[in-house]
Amino acid sequence: MKSGGTMRVLCVVGSTLFAIAAAPAALAVPSFARQTGMACEACHTVFPELTHFGRVFKANGYTLNNLAQVLDVTEKKQQVLALTKTPPFSIMFQVSYTQLNKTLPDLSNVNIPGEAQNGTVGFPQQFSLFYAGEIAPHFGAYIQATYANDSGTISIDNTDLRFADMQILGDDRSLIYGLSLNNNPTVQDLWNSTPAWGQLYAASNATVSPLAGTQIDGTLAQSVAGLTAYVMWNEALYAEVGGYHSAQQGVTNQLTGAAGPLDGTASNVIQGVSPYWRVAYEHLWSRNSFEIGLYGATFKLLPGGTPAAPSPLGGPTNRFNDVAEDFQYQYLGEDNLITVAGTRIHENMTLDASFASGAATNPTDNLTTMRFWATYYYRRMIGGTVQYFQTTGSTDALLYPPTPPPTPPATQSAGVVYSANGSPNTSGWVAEIDYLPWLNTKLAVQYTAYNKFNGSSTNYDGVGRNASNNNTFYALLWFAF
Amino acid sequence: MRTIDKFREFPERLQRYPWPRRMSVVGFFVLGVAALTHADEPATPDSAVQAYAHRMAVGVCGTCHGPHGNSIQPKFPRLAAQNANYLAQQLKNFRSQTRGDPDALGYMWGMAAQLDDSTITALAQYYAAQAARAGRGDPALVAQGREIYQHGIISEGVPACATCHGADAHGVADFPRLAGQHSQYILKQLASFQSNMRNVAIMHGVALNLRTAEMQSVAAYLEGQP
Repeated sequence: MKSGGTMRVLCVVGSTLFAIAAAPAALAVPSFARQTGMACEACHTVFPELTHFGRVFKANGYTLNNLAQVLDVTEKKQQVLALTKTPPFSIMFQVSYTQLNKTLPDLSNVNIPGEAQNGTVGFPQQFSLFYAGEIAPHFGAYIQATYANDSGTISIDNTDLRFADMQILGDDRSLIYGLSLNNNPTVQDLWNSTPAWGQLYAASNATVSPLAGTQIDGTLAQSVAGLTAYVMWNEALYAEVGGYHSAQQGVTNQLTGAAGPLDGTASNVIQGVSPYWRVAYEHLWSRNSFEIGLYGATFKLLPGGTPAAPSPLGGPTNRFNDVAEDFQYQYLGEDNLITVAGTRIHENMTLDASFASGAATNPTDNLTTMRFWATYYYRRMIGGTVQYFQTTGSTDALLYPPTPPPTPPATQSAGVVYSANGSPNTSGWVAEIDYLPWLNTKLAVQYTAYNKFNGSSTNYDGVGRNASNNNTFYALLWFAF
Repeated sequence: MRTIDKFREFPERLQRYPWPRRMSVVGFFVLGVAALTHADEPATPDSAVQAYAHRMAVGVCGTCHGPHGNSIQPKFPRLAAQNANYLAQQLKNFRSQTRGDPDALGYMWGMAAQLDDSTITALAQYYAAQAARAGRGDPALVAQGREIYQHGIISEGVPACATCHGADAHGVADFPRLAGQHSQYILKQLASFQSNMRNVAIMHGVALNLRTAEMQSVAAYLEGQP
């Protein structure tokens, strides 16, 4: 029987792992191409990475529309309806194959040692339906619903509803301003260096993910709702502020069975509103662009519990203060396209709740994640990406727990997802090769190699698994239409 | 049909002529258009259309072409001070999907799809009124480029570009301004003329007779012209 504290840790760890494993692939949407009448290359280098034009299209609320419209105006010439004659729907499909360097133990019957089958086919790994385009003048949407093979259900995926307008300032400099209502911090961002749309654009959901991840790095994706306001001056200087509140999916109130209010059966509930902020500057010259920026958020989370082990929402919170730097360089030649980008996210944790309940060893911890990558494409047809990733942070044996001993008569230990030394340190490389026979169809092979996993290179879980055992081969067919 | 419309059909009609005759026809055409265009300019759109076009030029077109038509990226042509007639005709060609070079398909067919004639006129007039900023051509190529531009290459059957585009490369009537244009853009257009993806008979003939190095020198010369 696990203690309440351990249970809460596993809730945190579990939700983090789920968020990482379920982190949706970032996507490009052909309905935008249909709406603008422009080829993918106008907005994308290769999907889903955006060009400068794509960033401005997004800042303008996905509303650039070159299709015939159903219109209505008042007698004062106020436009009250502009409805695209063709609804902006798109479909995306991913088929994948995943092979781990070493098979995982099969714990379906802990009394009978065995190994899980290695070689997982995702057919589909994801199947998404989008509504992505203009809804009304100045109002556009990117709404994604995804069937994923791990959950076996259809659920809301990345969503970004935007209102945007533009003023012309002196010397014909533009000032774009708007609001974004979205469900994933950084999904509204314009650059591909921030978490929601950063590399890796597609990854296996049938592999082992490390224990630790910062909150802004996809952990809260699709379980929050945020309203942010932004301005973009001269298509160069960008600033955004806003706040996020919990908007958990598939969670009901224990008393009423209704969708809310959230109670102690929900875990990691935001107390109040979590502030989010972002500043970035982009410089264009010839065929080059360079962006440098900062972003961050502060989340106060009530640990809560689960339907099986509820814990009332109240008392102390865990505070996660995330501050990140990012950059993105792009060279867009006629034949050669190069992108170099990266981000470093630093998280300071003040774990008042977890420390008090015995779910964390330290009252404060920190975690730093870095990712840097370079992508090259020849004629948007064949290319590849190399990425280095690294997470380092405080050692905390309760936050990053060791493998629990098997409970007799069980003979097998779980291992794999634990950390023998309580360290979150993980690092490694990813190499990917891509081939696009058509601009909306991508074939990719990817290999992830770990130098370190959950704190160690060898025997990281204390029951004999090495970091390199989690090295992952991943093959992907990804298309959208 | 208005006189100016007849002249806009000119490049297509010209294809009926054998090449040597084309050039003499072009010469007459230039003189004729120069005399007539001022008599038959499209009407200036009303202020609301002008304001709409200004907003579009800065907020939409400007993302690629620069708010005043002085684009930074060589993929996208500089439009500042371009001839209004030429610009309007190109926008109509995009709208009717008759201009077929790759970036016309990929970018401009969509962008021009819903433009009406008065907005096209207003956009063209907006860009025509902007001040051009000259670029900087490769100094090593400029001298040869100037020679080809001003005098052609008689031995290769390449006529002087200046005949149609003007000695200062500011364009004449329906023939576009080339001064200050990105050299990479000019080269790409010459390739499209050569392959006939951009189907303009006069320029197809010119581009067929130009060697790559000659194209590069002309393009470098033009980029540096004020």
